Amino acid sequence: MAAKRSEGEGVSASAETSPSVAFGDTSPFRGRISEDPPFALLVSERGTRRLAAVDAAAAARGLSAGQKAADALALVPQLVTADHDPDADRRALESLCDWCVRFSPAVAVDGEDGLLLDITGTDHLWGGEAAMLADLLERLSRWGVPARGAIADTAGAAWALARFGREQAVVPPGGQREALSRLPVAALRLDEAAQAQLPRLGLHRVGQLYALPRAQMAKRFGLSFTQRLDQALGAAGEALAFRRPASPWFERLAFFEPISAPEDLARVAADVLALICKRLEAQGRGAKRFEVVYHRLDGKAFAVPVGLARPGRDAVRLAKLVAPRLDVVDPGFGIDVITVHAFAVEALAQGQARIDAELDAAEALAPLVDRLVNRLGEGRVWRPDPVESHVPERAVGRSAPLAGAASARPWNPDLPRPTRLLKRPEPIEVMAKLPDDPPLRFTWRGRHHRLRAAEGPERIGQEWWRGDFDDTGPGKIRDYYRVEDEAGGRFWIYRQGLYGDDALPKWWLHGLFG
Amino acid sequence: MPGSREARIEALRGRIAAIEAGTRTPTPVLPFGDPRIDSHLPGGGLPRAGWHEVVGEGLEGESGAATAAFAALLARPRAAKGAVVWVLRRSDLYAPGLVNLGFPVERLVVVRVRDEAEGLSVMEDALATPGVSVAIGEAEAPDLVAGRRLQLACERAGGFGVVLHRRPYGGPARGATGSAAFSRWRVGRAPGRAPPDGLGLGPAAWRVALERCRGGRPGAWILEHSEADHGPHPFRVVSELADHDLAQTPPERLRRAG
Repeated sequence: MAAKRSEGEGVSASAETSPSVAFGDTSPFRGRISEDPPFALLVSERGTRRLAAVDAAAAARGLSAGQKAADALALVPQLVTADHDPDADRRALESLCDWCVRFSPAVAVDGEDGLLLDITGTDHLWGGEAAMLADLLERLSRWGVPARGAIADTAGAAWALARFGREQAVVPPGGQREALSRLPVAALRLDEAAQAQLPRLGLHRVGQLYALPRAQMAKRFGLSFTQRLDQALGAAGEALAFRRPASPWFERLAFFEPISAPEDLARVAADVLALICKRLEAQGRGAKRFEVVYHRLDGKAFAVPVGLARPGRDAVRLAKLVAPRLDVVDPGFGIDVITVHAFAVEALAQGQARIDAELDAAEALAPLVDRLVNRLGEGRVWRPDPVESHVPERAVGRSAPLAGAASARPWNPDLPRPTRLLKRPEPIEVMAKLPDDPPLRFTWRGRHHRLRAAEGPERIGQEWWRGDFDDTGPGKIRDYYRVEDEAGGRFWIYRQGLYGDDALPKWWLHGLFG
Repeated sequence: MPGSREARIEALRGRIAAIEAGTRTPTPVLPFGDPRIDSHLPGGGLPRAGWHEVVGEGLEGESGAATAAFAALLARPRAAKGAVVWVLRRSDLYAPGLVNLGFPVERLVVVRVRDEAEGLSVMEDALATPGVSVAIGEAEAPDLVAGRRLQLACERAGGFGVVLHRRPYGGPARGATGSAAFSRWRVGRAPGRAPPDGLGLGPAAWRVALERCRGGRPGAWILEHSEADHGPHPFRVVSELADHDLAQTPPERLRRAG
């Protein structure tokens, strides 16, 4: 497997314009960075007001983050200030992360001001990694979010190069060791103690750390030191929390003019699905879940997920499944990019249709199940499966219609069970001769039923391993009776609790026999 | 002579049937196995492709227990292979109960819909799919247009459909409208006979009335659930009812089928 190519980008800490400008937010400071007076964000810390961040103009005048606000205002009287809102920043960063999905499906938020994108297999759409990085940074700067970026094999190396390396560095595969050697030690994301101690030992560059004995360094600075070094060089893995799972099965179509008509939306969905299905077919694979995302001009994205019961790659069928779901897409001023991701990709053998094709039952049912699931939702189509439980309402589980056979023991056909089971048993009033006898008559929903025959009792106890210790007791035991009234109707009633206890046992109706 | 007159009438009937059928092959039918029922149905049984209605009275209109059991048993011979789709609005169908009736639950697909139009459309979709052999739907009252579409879907793919009339959440009943079904059955429970060893309950029994049938005659019977083979259907006629018997409680003497 080829090494993962990662791209890191960082918003330089000195220009804290809010990234939410890209999404129609009414921030008054959009796009006027250069001619604005110096601007800083204030935060209240331990009773004093301090500067949380400053922009380039303020930094040029000698202000820095952490200074007291009173001092800063004295130094630069025309300083414009606003309150630091970390929640809004976080939300804006997450929106930006979602916007970046148009470049690669695997985007992760990194810290407070960065994003990590895994661009494995997606750079060919821009004609190369350098072109992709340039395009991304240019779009971001157009939105008023100045950014720095870099591409490398590992997330750690990309992070380091984006923040401390030269502008728009693209490191060739396997070249991160050499590229990192000139960067300062702070580029390795070490903890503060190590960060403070290393310069005192005369270790200023990452290249100086390569030759050091690992065991002693781990003992001195902790295991995280060696782990970070390995992560940057690619010797150890790093887990990233992507907004969506990473998938190299990604296709993208961009349009010269934004589209908004529904027929056009359906047509471009068919086109992009055809692209990805052709790729899947070339590799002999099929996928179970596809997600078509429409990206609007102002950055908002609308996702239309499509699921198949069996992995497939039939673009026509997928387009037919997408077409009815297009009403969630609000084109606004127009859609300019459409992307599709495929998940749950598996190998799919080429099936050859026989002339006297006797359809395999599951294959014939798959299109119907797909249509129903996509139209009604997954929770509304199921196959009842046995669950190993005595309690009647828990003895039936739901599973996907085309899933494999259930592993639990099948239901016992000798136990009499009703055709209709009420979700909530209804209370009835019962008259019986002796406590343990089946009842003679009962009243349900205001109607009297006189019984002519009864069968039972079938004792179903409580599943004591499920509830609290205090909840268990003879009060939860059910004695089921199958009774027939004079008109022929058959009911499944039960008595909860035993006679002779403190509380009088209650009778309930649980089901109706056909 | 009466004998030759009978023979001539039979011959004439055969010729009329041949003329009516023309060049069409006779549709295969699934008989009940008992001439008392089969004589009411055209061709001696239920046709393979077509849909039928099952109506319940009183509480059955809301709970739909006896109608569900009857529909399951009616469709059981056709469900021997292929998938079965059950469309319902209220998910109180209990699978172990269907297992007691011998219904193939491992090939059952249950679909829960939100309203009647959606239910009928899902049923039509299911009947038009080649892999589905039986589709059972719960609806209040399919109108003529919807019924015609169901019939076309059945004929296209050879599926067997049953529509149970049910108002799952109560409410006032709408009057009976015209129907495009092949047959309409009105089902209610009947007291069963005592079991052979006298303990417990015997086999289930239903009071079944064939209200209308395309090309057949109405009739009424008391049917009992029986697994011995009297025919492909698991029913055994306990007694045949005349029209005026429907209003009363069932007759005192239940005689065995001859």
